[in-house]
Amino acid sequence: MLRIAAGRAAARSSSRPIVNGRTIPGVCSSCSANRSARRNFSSSSSRQADITLTVDGKEVTVPQGTALIQACEAAGATIPRFCYHDRLAIAGNCRMCLVEVERSPKPVASCAMPAMPGSKVFTNTPLVHEAREGVMEFLLANHPLDCPICDQGGECDLQDQSMRYGSDRTRFHEITGKRAVENKDLGPLVKTVMTRCIQCTRCIRFANEVAGVEELGSTGRGNDLQIGMYVEKTMDSELSGNVVDLCPVGALTSKPYAFHARPWELKNTESVDVLDAVGSNIRVDSRGLQVMRIQPRVNDDVNEEWISDKTRYAHDGLRFQRLTTPLIREGDRFVPANWEEALTAIADGLKASGAQDNEIQAVAGHLADTESLVALKDLVNRLGSDNLILDQQLGDKAPVNGIDIRSNYLFNSTIPGVEHADVILLVGTNPRHEAAVMNSRIRKSWMHTPLEVGLIGEQVDTAYGYSYLGPDARALADVVAGKGDFGAKFKAAKKPLVIVGSAVTEHADGAGVLKAVAKLVQGHKAMLTPEWNGFSVLQRVASRPAAYDIGWTPSKAASQTTPKFIYLLNADEVDPKSIPQNAFVVYQGHHGDVGAQLADVCLPGAAYTEKSTTWINTEGRSQLGRTAVPPPGASREDWKIIRALSEVVGQPLPYDEVLALRDRMWEISPSLVRYDVTEPVTSDIALAGLKTLSSRTAGVAISGAPLKKPISNFYMTDPISRASVTMAQCTRAFVKGENYGFSEEEKTGQASYA
Amino acid sequence: MMLASTSRIACPRHGLLIARSLHSSTSVLNTNISKGTSSATEPPATEAKSTVPSEILPPHPIIPADQISGAPVELRHRVVRIFQPAQNTMQSGPAKGSRWRIDWDVLQGAGRWENPLMGWASSGDYMQGTRIGFRSKEDAIHFAEKQGIFLVISGWDYYVQQEPVKRIPPKNYAENYVYKPNKLRIARTK
Ligand code: SF4
Ligand code: FES
Repeated sequence: MLRIAAGRAAARSSSRPIVNGRTIPGVCSSCSANRSARRNFSSSSSRQADITLTVDGKEVTVPQGTALIQACEAAGATIPRFCYHDRLAIAGNCRMCLVEVERSPKPVASCAMPAMPGSKVFTNTPLVHEAREGVMEFLLANHPLDCPICDQGGECDLQDQSMRYGSDRTRFHEITGKRAVENKDLGPLVKTVMTRCIQCTRCIRFANEVAGVEELGSTGRGNDLQIGMYVEKTMDSELSGNVVDLCPVGALTSKPYAFHARPWELKNTESVDVLDAVGSNIRVDSRGLQVMRIQPRVNDDVNEEWISDKTRYAHDGLRFQRLTTPLIREGDRFVPANWEEALTAIADGLKASGAQDNEIQAVAGHLADTESLVALKDLVNRLGSDNLILDQQLGDKAPVNGIDIRSNYLFNSTIPGVEHADVILLVGTNPRHEAAVMNSRIRKSWMHTPLEVGLIGEQVDTAYGYSYLGPDARALADVVAGKGDFGAKFKAAKKPLVIVGSAVTEHADGAGVLKAVAKLVQGHKAMLTPEWNGFSVLQRVASRPAAYDIGWTPSKAASQTTPKFIYLLNADEVDPKSIPQNAFVVYQGHHGDVGAQLADVCLPGAAYTEKSTTWINTEGRSQLGRTAVPPPGASREDWKIIRALSEVVGQPLPYDEVLALRDRMWEISPSLVRYDVTEPVTSDIALAGLKTLSSRTAGVAISGAPLKKPISNFYMTDPISRASVTMAQCTRAFVKGENYGFSEEEKTGQASYA
Repeated sequence: MMLASTSRIACPRHGLLIARSLHSSTSVLNTNISKGTSSATEPPATEAKSTVPSEILPPHPIIPADQISGAPVELRHRVVRIFQPAQNTMQSGPAKGSRWRIDWDVLQGAGRWENPLMGWASSGDYMQGTRIGFRSKEDAIHFAEKQGIFLVISGWDYYVQQEPVKRIPPKNYAENYVYKPNKLRIARTK
C-alpha cells in the first residue's frame, strides 16, 4: 500500500550512509548482511518496513523495495515511460523515466532505481526536461512519421509524449534516411510494423513471463536490435492479443481491427465477458451499431489486465449468422414471422404436443444470462415441470457434485487465491483453454515461487511444467494415499489446491473422481481452514454457475421423462439425437447455430454486448454486463421474450421490469444481485458440502476411462466464436497449423487494406 | 451507511436494489442483509421505528432539482450508471483517471439506427450522447439523488459500479537477477 505521510523522515534519512554522494540502497545493505534474507528478496511480504522520501517537495511513504517510479506516482508526479509496465518485470531500457535525484551527478532512470529513504527527487526541473527531450529525440530519430496511417494514432504513448516532452523542431538530417526493419508474421491476430518499434521489450517480457511464449525475443544489438520469433513462426498463445495493448507505439497492432476505426470515434461501454467462465472485465468499443473491438479493463480480482484472444477477437462473430426476426418452421424451411405469430405458434405447439408437467423441458445453454434463466425456470415451474436440464453431456441428470451447497461447484480458492497455493493438482482440466487468464496466474506463481503442479487427465501444454500423474481416476488414488513424489509434496503442502475441471461432472467416472477428491480434501488438514479453501471446481461455461445457483436441475422423476415440448435457451451443444422426433422445439438465442436448426420456432434474443444482464463467474462473483449496442432487427432482450411468452401461454410472470426481476433474484439468492463481490463459503459449510459429496458418491466403481479435455479447439467454443471469421483464421493457423494465407495478402501492400 | 439509508428512503420501491448496489464494500452490504429485509417494499425494521419526519428528511440538504430543471419526465424512469471509467490499457498516462461518470443505458429497440445513405448512426434517444463527469463518487451520487421533486419523486435510480481494483506490488529491478535455488523456470529472451 503506497501512501503519502507527513513528516518523520528527516531523522532517518540523515543517518543513512552516504558514499560518493549516493545513498546506499537500503535493500542491498540489509540483505548482504543476512543470507536468508536474499532468498526472500522476491517475495513482497518480507518487506515490512516503510521508507519516506521527498518527491518534488512532497513527502511520501512507501514500502521498502519500491521502485522510484512507483514512489513518484504515489506522490502524484507523472513520470513518462515506455518500457516500465506495472505488471511486467522491470527492464530499464527506454530511459524516458529519467528524474533528478539530489546529489546524483546524472539523471536516474526512476523505474530501475529503488526508492531510498530520505532521498530528494525532482521530476520537474530543467535537467529532467532536457533529459526527456533528449531521449525523445533519439527515439524519434528512427521512428517513422506515419501517424496518419498508423492504427495506434490517437492512443499512442509515443505520440502523446513527444507532444508533451519532445522538442518542437528536428535536427535529423541523415541523407541515408531512417532505419527500416522487416515486418514479422505473428499470425492472424497481431499485425507488425516493425519499423515503428522502439525496443521497449514489453512484448518480449509479456510473452516470456505471462503468456509463456519463450520464442519471442530480440536479436542483434544497438541499431540492429530487432524483435521477432527468431524463425518463421507465429505467436501461438491464447493471450497473444495483449501485446497489442502493451506496445506503446504502433509496432504491434490488431490485425482484424486494422484501419477500421480511430479511438475517438468509439463509444466505450464497460461490460463483462461471457465466452468463458472467468468473467473477465472488458470494455466494449462500438461505433454506431457495431462492436469494433474489445479491450480489457483492469480488475486485479479477476483478469488483472489481460484477456484471452477469444474474448478480444471473437466479437466479429456478432455480425454473422444472427437471428434477427422470429422464424416459424413450415415443412423444411423457416418462414419469418412477427413476434405475435411466433409466440402464438409456441402456445399452439405446446397445446398440440400434449406436453404435461415434466414433459415440458427447458435446456440452459452456454450463453444464457441469469435473468433469462430465472424467468424461464419460473415459467417452466409454473407450467408444472421440473425438467430443467443443462446443455452438456449427462446434463439431463442432476449433477454428481450436487448443487445444494455452493462450494461444491464453485472456484472456492478465488482466482487471485491461485497465486497463494504452493501445490496445485489439476484434475481433468486444461486451464489454459478453459480459463486462459487464470492460467497465467498459475504460470506467474510457478515462475516466482517453488510451486509444484500435478495433472491428472489428458496431457496438454499448460505453459508451465507439471508432473503428469495419469490419465484417469485411478491416478487420484495414489495422491490420496500420498504415494509417489507428487503425493508426498501434496501431503506436505501448506496451501494445497485441487482444481477439478467442469468436464469431470460430464464424465462417466465423474462420481468416482469426486469421491476421491472429497476424500483427499477431507484427509488433508491444510485443505480446509478458515482462511483457505483448496477445493475448487473450474467452470468453463459462463451460464453454469448461475444455473446451479438458481437450482436449475431436474428432479429424479423429470430426468426419466421423455419430453414432448423442449425449450432451448441458447443451447447450441445439443445432440440432435437426444431430441425426440415428435417433440415441439423452441429455440431462443442470437445465432443460427445447431440449436436453431432443430427448432420449430426460433426467437431472436440479444447477445452479451446487447443486453444489461447479470453473469456469475466460476468464483460465484456476480457482475453486471452492459448494453453497448442495440440488438439487431426484431431481436429482444432474452428475459423479456420469456416474460411475453408467459403471458401467451397463460401463466404470466409477476415481473414487468428488470428491477422487479432482480428482486425476484434476490429472493432466490441474494448473492445473485450483490454485484462485484464473491461471498466465500465458510469452512464448516464447505465441509458439510464435501460430506454430502462423499455420501452421494459412496459405493461408485471406477471404470478407468481416461479423462478427456473438454475443449479441443480453444478458438471455437460457442455460437459467437464459431461465427467469427477471425476465430476461423486462428483455428487454421494455430489448431490445424495451416498456412492461413494472411501473410501473402500482406505482401500486396498496405493500400489494399484501406 | 448514511448514504445507504438515504437512498432507501429516497426510492421506496427499488430502495433495496439501490442500497444493495450502492456500496461495493462487503461490510456495508452485510449490514443490509443482517436486517433481514427480503422484500423491496418494506422499509427495514430498524428505521421503521423512528418517527416519520426525521426519516424523510435526508441527512444532508438535497435540493430537489427536478422541480426547476425542466428535465423531461422520462428521465425519472431510467436507471443511470455511476462509474469510474477504466483507464485505457493501450496507454500509460493516468490523466482523468480519478473522475467519475454518470451515463444512461442504451434503450432497447429504438435506441439507434444507421443512416442508409451515409452509414451514420442516428438515435431517438437524447441521452445517448450525454455523459456527466464528477470529481468523486459522492458527488455523482448526490447529483443523481437530487434529481427529484421534494417528497414526490425521489432521485434517479442509479447503479454504482465498483471502482477498478488495482493492486501493484512493490517492484524492483534487482528481481531480474535474484538467485533461484532450483531449476530455472524461465528463459529470458530479452
Ligand atoms: S514491438 Fe512494441 S512492445 Fe515490442 S519492443 Fe517494440 S515497441 Fe516495445
Ligand atoms: S521506463 Fe524507466 S527506462 Fe523505460
